[in-house]
Amino acid sequence: MQKNEAASSRERGIRIRVNGQWRDFALGDDLSASTTLAYLLRERLGFTGLKVSCDEGACGACTVLEDGAAVLSCMVLAVEADGHDIQTIEGLPADDPVVEAFAEQSEPGFGTALQCGYCTPGFVMTARALLNANPSPTLAEVKEALGGNICRCGCYAGIARAVLNASAKIAARKAGAAAPGGRA
Amino acid sequence: MKPTKESELNLSGATRYLDDLPATEGMLYGVPLTSPCARGLLRGIDASAALALDASVSVLTASDIPGENQLGEAVSDESLLVDGEWSYLGQCLALALAATPSLARKAAALVRIVYDELEAVTDARAAAESGSFILPSRTMRSGDPASAFSRCAIVVEGRVESGGQEHVYLEAQGAIAESLEGGRVRVVSGTQAPSGVQRAIARTLGLGMHDVEVEARRLGGAFGGKEDQAAQWAALAALGAARTGKTVKVYLNRREDMNWTGKRHPYSSDYKLGLDAEGRILAYEADYYQNSGACCDLSPAILSRTLFHAASAYRIPNLRVTGRMCRTNLPPFTAFRGFGAPQGVFVIECALDAAAREGGWDPVELRLKNLLAEGDSFHFGQPVADCRARRTVDRTLELSRWTELRAEIDSFNSAHRLVKRGAAILPICFGVSFTKLVMNQGGALVHVYGDGSVSVSTGAVEMGQQVARKIQVIAARSLGIPEGLVRVESTRTASVANTYSTAASTGSDINGMAALAACEEIRGRLLGLAARMLGADKGELRIESGFVTKGCEITELAWKELVDKAHLDRIDLSAHGFYATPGLFYDMKAERGSPFAYHVYGCSAVTATLDALRGTYRFDEAFIVHDVGESIDYDVDLGQVEGAFAQGLGWAALEDLRYDERGRLLSDTLSTYKLPDLRFMPSAVKIEFLEGAPNPKAVMRSKAIGEPPLLYGIAGYFAILDALRAVDRTHPTKAPSSAPYAYDLPMTPEKALDFIQGVRR
Repeated sequence: MQKNEAASSRERGIRIRVNGQWRDFALGDDLSASTTLAYLLRERLGFTGLKVSCDEGACGACTVLEDGAAVLSCMVLAVEADGHDIQTIEGLPADDPVVEAFAEQSEPGFGTALQCGYCTPGFVMTARALLNANPSPTLAEVKEALGGNICRCGCYAGIARAVLNASAKIAARKAGAAAPGGRA
Repeated sequence: MKPTKESELNLSGATRYLDDLPATEGMLYGVPLTSPCARGLLRGIDASAALALDASVSVLTASDIPGENQLGEAVSDESLLVDGEWSYLGQCLALALAATPSLARKAAALVRIVYDELEAVTDARAAAESGSFILPSRTMRSGDPASAFSRCAIVVEGRVESGGQEHVYLEAQGAIAESLEGGRVRVVSGTQAPSGVQRAIARTLGLGMHDVEVEARRLGGAFGGKEDQAAQWAALAALGAARTGKTVKVYLNRREDMNWTGKRHPYSSDYKLGLDAEGRILAYEADYYQNSGACCDLSPAILSRTLFHAASAYRIPNLRVTGRMCRTNLPPFTAFRGFGAPQGVFVIECALDAAAREGGWDPVELRLKNLLAEGDSFHFGQPVADCRARRTVDRTLELSRWTELRAEIDSFNSAHRLVKRGAAILPICFGVSFTKLVMNQGGALVHVYGDGSVSVSTGAVEMGQQVARKIQVIAARSLGIPEGLVRVESTRTASVANTYSTAASTGSDINGMAALAACEEIRGRLLGLAARMLGADKGELRIESGFVTKGCEITELAWKELVDKAHLDRIDLSAHGFYATPGLFYDMKAERGSPFAYHVYGCSAVTATLDALRGTYRFDEAFIVHDVGESIDYDVDLGQVEGAFAQGLGWAALEDLRYDERGRLLSDTLSTYKLPDLRFMPSAVKIEFLEGAPNPKAVMRSKAIGEPPLLYGIAGYFAILDALRAVDRTHPTKAPSSAPYAYDLPMTPEKALDFIQGVRR
């Protein structure tokens, strides 16, 4: 009896893997058909790194990864994410090459990769998705991939530079791992 | 002991902005019901349908305000909730409160109002014709322009339009107000001016300022938009908290924020510029029609900065400039980085552009000939001191290889018919200080804790400009300790009182100096103790890298030990610091004085490539030489120059703020209001700081950085115009206009196409 109830509730619910952990949500109490993924992540799970800024897919601040690709979580319904793997900035390790490159960015002529920091999680996740698909992009490819993200503070040169530096880190780590005696 | 760097918090998603703070038990959400048309008379409010929606719903109106229903400081023309007539679309009429944001939005939508729609005016010149002004006009003069025009070889006249600009701080406006015992309130506000918010809440709730505590945490951008206009959202939240006894959050969504809040003032201006046969400016007149919107807000201060910057970086012996604050039925326009200066600078640059064409002069030569120099005076009487205009322009010409660049562009243009290139140079001269004297003061509170760590509070709000980083550097250098020991706190009215907005580029100048004063005080006490401990003369002791030094020798006495001993000896380890910018004075009647502590100079060169069939363009390169004094933090200052330039370029060439004739904002989302992204920016932006240029007038010989570089973007407008003029327009596709070319910023592709097709000359 209990088992049947659980099964039927599963039928009226969704499962999403968020930052490595499977989460169940029942339709009704937890979410409705119109609940966005952004709302679910921020308000239900407390992953407030992603920001809802324009709420119409025009600024990129809410970007998260779905199965490794960038999605605008304000434009994705939570039910559409059923069965998928979602990663937010909270799920990236501190030694993620993109996180490191954004943190370290400080270069004569380019400056830092963030100022007020509000757009940062979105830029990092978009960059992460780009490098997942294309680990060594050109500057033109970086601009194209990150063209949907807005940084109103305008530190675009530092951001583009950080993505290229992250790409170099990925290559260096691969080379290090491949070399005999290199670190994994 | 090592504090987490703010950027690391951002990169782990841990920074908590206003909307990221966890909801508290029983929290209510406030959503305003706003006016449906640009001008109207409110006859009645019926909240019954809203109240029936849910038990948690309540609706507050003007009659619920216990204090004065007024937010306006300079002019009392801005009610918190409308009681009677409203004057713009989006003005708050009532506040719906409910247990969730969506319930509150539903409730606000269910409130019915009875009203009469009244006739509205949205155009500045139309408002001026009907005599609708915020305050009387203001004029500055020097010399005798009327007689000087009669001696001119060339006189050009015309009209200049410049559009408004939406701030698009990525974090929208909002506040959370908590009701405390005894009727007190504690508010977290997304504001650049915590004391201003405190004052507004005390006024509207009828409380003493000591009953209201306001905190500004790190803001997700502000750019002037949260200087005056953060107050109403905080006051609404506080009103909700006061009436319900619960914590109330008001947080706008993007569309609400864009529709309801003010932006950069659009200007419509007339100019007249006269020069002698050699191209020396003899006389200049300008009339600025500032579209101030429906309420005073900061319009008078913004207009004054327009007038102070009317001549930009040029020597103009005979001048008359008049500004009018035209009251229209649009949301009150407000502070935006540059604060009226960009509008004034654009007009004189247009006049010079027209003069160069009329006189057949090279635009750069013409500017060089009239550039400010040591010994000149500004038109308001302040002497031009430590002038770096020529140095920055010369270095920009070198850096951009201007002569070769110009030749390359000209030869490219002769070889290509459908693609044209253009370039422009723009010198800047920006006065630093609030033009309102009283605002040039600030305080700081520094605590050294028993473990040697240091907490610094000031009136400065961190909004991305990294003022906290600069103050950290200033405090650490003053105390002689590693930067990691210094934490800069969020901005709280209970820590530092009677502050003014973090604005006018003065954040680190004023608050850095106040922090420095407090640190010096504590350092003095500690060195007195060290002198007794070491049996040395206090004058020969210093603290460096966390150790007391005597002459050139490092002693064994470490910072932590010294602090520990000071505490045991009952020495005060806290200090308050205060700074009031010295030497400022201004006579408003005579329009003469020295309103600025100093000026910031610089120059930009921008190149653009135009598609002569489509009117589209891209920016290729930008070269900027900027006078930063001695930079406190290179990365921070570089980022400020780059970011301000991006916003300036957006204002000049991209951001198209549009209202319809009835005062409805058409560009009210980020899908209809385009702003700079990675692809819009020039492929190469080379920024160089002027070397060997310390500034004795500001903290640690630095210069203010926030606003001046925004002006560099104006070069983008003229670079496109330069390319447009290279287009062969002998076969217009539309009926050519006979009107003279009217300068009209932003230079959007639509306007460029009109120009190409001969509709604009």
